[in-house]
Amino acid sequence: MKLRIIIPAALVSAGVLLFSCKKDFLIHTPQGSLSADVLASPSGVNGLLIGAYAALDGQDVGNGTPWSSSVSNWIWGSVVGTDASKGSYSGDQQQMNEIFNYSASTANSFFDDKWKACYEGISRCNNTLSVLPKVTGLSDADAKNIEAQAKFLRGHYYFELKRMFNMVPWIDETTTDYNQPNTDDIWPKIEADFQFAADNLPETQADAGRANKWAAVCYLGKTLLYEHKFADAKTQFDNAIANGETAKGVKYGLFTNFEDNWRPEDEAISPEAVFPVEMAANVGTNSIDNANYGDMLNFPYGSSPFGCCGFFQPRIDLVNSYRTDANGLPYLDNYNDHAVKNDQGILSADPFTPDAGNLDPRLDWTAGRRGLPFHDWGIHPGADWIRDQAYAGPYADKKDIYWQATPQYHDAASWAPGSAINYLVIRFADVLLMDAECDAQTGDLTSAENLVNQVRNRAANKSGWLYKYKDDSKPLDGFSTTPAANYVVNPYPAGYFNSKDIALKAIYFERKLELAMEGHRFFDLVRWGIAEQTINDFIGFERPLNNDILPSAHYQSPKNDYFPIPQSEIDLTTVNGAKTLTQNPGY
Amino acid sequence: MKRRSDRLQVRLYSLLLFVFISGSLLAQRKVTGTVISAKTNSPLSFATVTVKGTNTATATDANGNFSITVPAGKNVLSISSVGYADRDVTIGSGPVNVALQESTSTLNEIVVTGYTSQKKKDLTGAVSVVNVESMNKLSTGSIENQLQGQAAGVTVTGSGQPGEEPQVVIRGANTFGNNNPLYVVDGVPTGNISDLNPRDIESLQVLKDAGAASIYGARANNGVIIITTKKGKGKATVSYDGYYGTQVVAKGNPYNLLSPQGNADLEWLALKNAGLPTKDAEYGSGATPVLPDYIFPVGAHNGDASVDPSLYYVNPDYTDPNDPTTFYRITQANKTGTDWFHEVNKNAPIQNHNLTVSGGTENGHYLFGLNYLDQEGTVIYTFEKRFSIRANTQFNIGKHIRVGENLSYTVTNNPQITAIQEGGTIGYSYREEPIIPIYDIKGNFAGNFGTTLGNSLNPYATAYRTRNNKGLNARLFGNVFADVDIIRGLTLHTSFGGENYSGYYHNFSYPTYENTENTTTNTYSEGSDWGYNWTWTNTLTFHRVFGKHDVQLLVGTEAYDENNEDVGGGTTNYFSFDPNYTTLSSGSGTPTNYSGRSYLSLWSQFAKLDYQFNGKYLLSATIRRDGSSKFTQNQKFGYFPSVTAGWRISQENFMKDISWITDLKIRGGWGVMGNQLNLGGDNQYATYNQDKNASFYDINGSNNTIVQGFRVGQIPNPFAKWEKDNNSNIGLDATLFKNKVDIVVDYYQKNIQDLLFNPALPGTAGNGTVPFVNIGSMKDNGLDLGINTHWDLTHDLRLDAGITLTTVKNTITHITDQADYFYTPDGRRFGQDFIINQVGHPINQFYGYKIAGFFNTQGDIDAADASARKITGNSNAVYETDEGVGRFKYVDVNGDGVINSDDRTFLGSALPKFTYGITLGLTYKNFDFSSFFYGSQGNKIWDQVKYWTDLYPTFTGAKSLSALNDSWTPTHMNAANPEVDYNGYFSTTTQPTSYYVENGSYLRAKYMILGYTFDKDLLNKVGITSFRVYVQATNLFTITKYPGVDPEISSNGNQGQRIVDMGVDEGAYPHTKQFIFGVNVKF
Repeated sequence: MKLRIIIPAALVSAGVLLFSCKKDFLIHTPQGSLSADVLASPSGVNGLLIGAYAALDGQDVGNGTPWSSSVSNWIWGSVVGTDASKGSYSGDQQQMNEIFNYSASTANSFFDDKWKACYEGISRCNNTLSVLPKVTGLSDADAKNIEAQAKFLRGHYYFELKRMFNMVPWIDETTTDYNQPNTDDIWPKIEADFQFAADNLPETQADAGRANKWAAVCYLGKTLLYEHKFADAKTQFDNAIANGETAKGVKYGLFTNFEDNWRPEDEAISPEAVFPVEMAANVGTNSIDNANYGDMLNFPYGSSPFGCCGFFQPRIDLVNSYRTDANGLPYLDNYNDHAVKNDQGILSADPFTPDAGNLDPRLDWTAGRRGLPFHDWGIHPGADWIRDQAYAGPYADKKDIYWQATPQYHDAASWAPGSAINYLVIRFADVLLMDAECDAQTGDLTSAENLVNQVRNRAANKSGWLYKYKDDSKPLDGFSTTPAANYVVNPYPAGYFNSKDIALKAIYFERKLELAMEGHRFFDLVRWGIAEQTINDFIGFERPLNNDILPSAHYQSPKNDYFPIPQSEIDLTTVNGAKTLTQNPGY
Repeated sequence: MKRRSDRLQVRLYSLLLFVFISGSLLAQRKVTGTVISAKTNSPLSFATVTVKGTNTATATDANGNFSITVPAGKNVLSISSVGYADRDVTIGSGPVNVALQESTSTLNEIVVTGYTSQKKKDLTGAVSVVNVESMNKLSTGSIENQLQGQAAGVTVTGSGQPGEEPQVVIRGANTFGNNNPLYVVDGVPTGNISDLNPRDIESLQVLKDAGAASIYGARANNGVIIITTKKGKGKATVSYDGYYGTQVVAKGNPYNLLSPQGNADLEWLALKNAGLPTKDAEYGSGATPVLPDYIFPVGAHNGDASVDPSLYYVNPDYTDPNDPTTFYRITQANKTGTDWFHEVNKNAPIQNHNLTVSGGTENGHYLFGLNYLDQEGTVIYTFEKRFSIRANTQFNIGKHIRVGENLSYTVTNNPQITAIQEGGTIGYSYREEPIIPIYDIKGNFAGNFGTTLGNSLNPYATAYRTRNNKGLNARLFGNVFADVDIIRGLTLHTSFGGENYSGYYHNFSYPTYENTENTTTNTYSEGSDWGYNWTWTNTLTFHRVFGKHDVQLLVGTEAYDENNEDVGGGTTNYFSFDPNYTTLSSGSGTPTNYSGRSYLSLWSQFAKLDYQFNGKYLLSATIRRDGSSKFTQNQKFGYFPSVTAGWRISQENFMKDISWITDLKIRGGWGVMGNQLNLGGDNQYATYNQDKNASFYDINGSNNTIVQGFRVGQIPNPFAKWEKDNNSNIGLDATLFKNKVDIVVDYYQKNIQDLLFNPALPGTAGNGTVPFVNIGSMKDNGLDLGINTHWDLTHDLRLDAGITLTTVKNTITHITDQADYFYTPDGRRFGQDFIINQVGHPINQFYGYKIAGFFNTQGDIDAADASARKITGNSNAVYETDEGVGRFKYVDVNGDGVINSDDRTFLGSALPKFTYGITLGLTYKNFDFSSFFYGSQGNKIWDQVKYWTDLYPTFTGAKSLSALNDSWTPTHMNAANPEVDYNGYFSTTTQPTSYYVENGSYLRAKYMILGYTFDKDLLNKVGITSFRVYVQATNLFTITKYPGVDPEISSNGNQGQRIVDMGVDEGAYPHTKQFIFGVNVKF
């Protein structure tokens, strides 16, 4: 009978005890994460800034595919810009098909992937900027450096958005309502961010990956060029060409060899890396997310040593552009009449002899061709390394390809390869050609010609050509002294640029040759105002050769000059039936 | 008497009754006797013995004996016991010995509901009382699978994979997120019963409406399933139940795939139709494709120098990722075709053994159970092996205190595969081309490396490489409890229970070499998770009868605390792949590791009042206040009330003369239930975090290191509060024709508000974790019907038949203020989501273009274009992108003359309109036959397998007979598929369309059992109490129009996404036929 009382009494006491600590009982703080206060320190704000850099590659910043938001813009700049086909087969990544056939719906998730990736980058810049004023213990110089880097990066992300979508909302560190309209042209704000960066960044930085003053000057110039402010842009480019250096203090210039730009071992001494996006392989994550994740599909297929996935194949039209005449100059108008012989439709088992005509040597660092050395991986066998020739043509991507001799730059942690090859958002050859464009637009044809010829002279440098293997069966034994093809390339003879039209035509063409497959082409065509003509001409030429270009493919200006504002973004910012975002014309 | 609470109540009644009459004792006499079961001849304990016409009552002891004082003038005793028909006996001269017949009436069955128990006839809420015996007959280790079709209002969707947790949804969709019901096992709430031994269950009740469930307040919204495990009783008994059987893989060609020659012919047809030269490195370039003797070297023939075996070199255990470049593979073509399905699906044994020792006396009772389940999956290298023990005991300390415990400990080894996706063993089995053999000429794996045969992986190799993976889960679950009768009618119950679990796995990923897309690294990973949670419940129950007023009042508190942790890591570059060698320490690559923690606590108070007047009018009210650590201080607590009432019309005088109505009750109620499952504990906090993939950067330009960086983690929502389900129910319980027919029917309506949902934020907000906000709402209504009948057709022949019916109509009423829809993020190969959840429609609607038919002639196209031009006024308009003869014409839903994304429309929902279960049983003398059928009606399936097999241009791979023989041609316009083409178009394969939507209705014979029980007299001589043998066929047939391997398609999404992502078939793990032999023995 005593227990009848004792047990309830004990339980009631225990209950009271529990009740009294109930306030704490119902509180659990987050595990494994930080609050903003903790980050308001010099190392904390630097960590936020590193986070803003980490968004550059476009990876793990949204829920989209790695490739749709890749910093290399291989889809947006190169595939849409006709450098390359999607590659692979029809059914693979088929939402890309409507994009490169210029009939994409506004709901295509690839647009939103890129949009979100850029705004996540912007968000990280803004977080850095908003925490920065709360940090104590930073010198003024360091604080300015951080602020300027954050604004530089923000300028980059907005630049990407601007040329993709044209009218986009502006979000900065003071914004609290994310439903912002896209009614204002944000070029002035992008300019302002780059101007601030150019004014406040140091000339060199402790880390190779950080933006420095000269990167900002060049990016400001690029911004002004896109705005067609040629004289202002020229000022920036001239300054950078005369005085610029990389973050590690290497004076701006052209690498001796064209292909050195895609050699991780040479990155530190690169004079050409104006704004690199640093890629790192085998960093111990057992993933390739820091190793060109967005370009993982772009390796030869079939029995190739790469495994996956046969995307991003240079177009026949692009390869034909590298034909040179007897003087080593390109056929600016009718290069497709001097087509480069290819192995389309020929099985690897059947014989094929590569083209014997004159070629610009940059071709063979840009496109993998049957019968020629494919880096140190052996002779490209043609069809056996191509996923589907009839669909997307006979060529292979080359600028993204790592070398067999340097396996440390290959990351095999995923089902498709990663690599440590940096992506150069701006490389110095690009700066020279942009400056040449400004010169041509502002009437200084001689200077324009000289700048273009600097680029062509580098191409003509024999040490940078592709040579045949010493022994085709032992590609690792190195190259012979016999060029892999009949390379004939020369600078334009003095006075060739005798009119603005000819100068621009040559400059435009030089950009195609020099910067092919680097994600620039489409944006160049649009800002030049020749996208509709050029792309429709291309479609007319290429469609009979490849099955991936559909009968309905047709480019239409101004509609296709910009991609549609992603439908989901319009939906998500509609308040009480009123749309915050305005769709681009034509969609 | 089976349950603690039953006994408690009965004893309380008897105590009360004694007290009431103690003042009026006159010429009384003492009568003793024994109560036994007529069927088993075993004594019945806790049977109630009442002196008819008085309130004098007692209960039998463990040996069935009773002793009662009978007032003068009375000479009839009423004997009653749950599960037995009441019986009146006249007192004679000697002891009163009574044998009770088993009752078919369930009216007096005691049903455990929230914290209390009630007689079934007194229920006012919507409660499905499941027939555990019928449920247990399905040979599976999972209670959830057994529940399918057994309870009106419960929809279970599962697969044939051993141990795979099916989706259990009570009354439609209750939330966009996790719809798992709350399970309460012996009073302990838990989210998981997948390792509970079905044979340990004594009773299972489903609380479906607020009246029944809202006593569980914050966790009741998805419904509550109350499970009571078995207790010992009577004399010591040993019983053994066991079965052994085989699961049989379907014969034939389940994916309807072509032969190697057929695949080649299809390719030639595609090339011809596209105007391309017919040429393939494997098949040559002739007018007809010729199968090669070797697929690698590509297209080689017997006698070719390239297939000289001396050239062969493959090192399957290579460790250098560059090694495969030196391999020389030689693989013969399998011209007759490899039957990949049957290479990875094999007949598999299943066995289950259950041993129980139990007994009880007036001082307490005990039950010890042992269970061993060993089910191999029909997909190779999947299985479930489970060992569990149970110990349930209770001790009576004096007359007023009872203490006890219920404990189970389970160890499970259950490797599973992920089905319903293009990759994995099943996905590859319909994608890998049949010309590929399993092995190459030297017995290493063969695949499509270097061939033109697509990018699938060798499905057999994929499965085989998992053979050394190991995993083990262990879980201790149970509680200790005490009941104390403090004063008359007032009982304190306290229970402390919960679980302690741990899981462990290690996997080795072998490098591959045989496929086009190989993994060239070897990786070992190992991980563990563990955690515990406890629930401490204290209740005070006061029960008294005042004349015609029966009052029961319950008040209680409950505290819940949950802790989960996990840890793991991985390494690469192993010198040897010997499973005895590979550990986290023995790899040479850079190790990775992870760990995580999460906590949750709840604190609740509740009260319940049950009131009856004159056994006719029933009223029940509950209120619960819940606090959760998931919410901020201002939103922490929620209140969840309910009120129900019932009227037993059959007790009214005007009904008493209707003889065919034994009992009739109408009941109804309203209440509010809550939910908080969907959001995580961090929802209220703003956080930053780090992620090596997402926020680290090689700022130094090192090429091989990354530097720490931060990013936004959780975007906070301090205003999140409880989901609220305003729930009303009206029901009718009828027992007719002298207990021959029981009917329970309920109509319900739910308005679920403040749904916790994490609607996507605009991209401009950045990519932090989107917080859950109380924004959505939906409503459900439907009918639950259960009918059970029992007929004694002749003296020896008895028929039992029953049906359960569950209808559901779900409608989304609000999503967010911005959007009236959201897509389920599942784009498959379309790159666009095709499952929409839109206001005004049920959740999980397939969405895409609706096919009107084919463009059969150029005239069809011209007419469509002419119409488009007329409507749009644009002379260049075309009706549809890439329209062409032999391609699909889509319906212009919005009538604007052209097809664009605005013409996508609703193509049907994966939610069934109704599901039903039918039981049919016959007992003839010693033979018993039982069968159970389950059906689902009105559910649609998105058949993504067709995407891979029936359409040529999607991906190179195995294709179907349908692709070759039932595609559009000018002479076969009434075709299933568009014209075979080399390229995919908007008008054929690139868009989600009604082409993929199939009728998923089916009726399945879940089990058929024939049993024989040996005669008792014979058995008793050898000391056996009972002995039954049976044979069983499970999933014997399925009636469906669905062409895939199994029409029951769940989801491979996580718990939080399953309801909005079910019904997409991309290679299901099919249910297979099982043939089983079993015995039940009792000593």
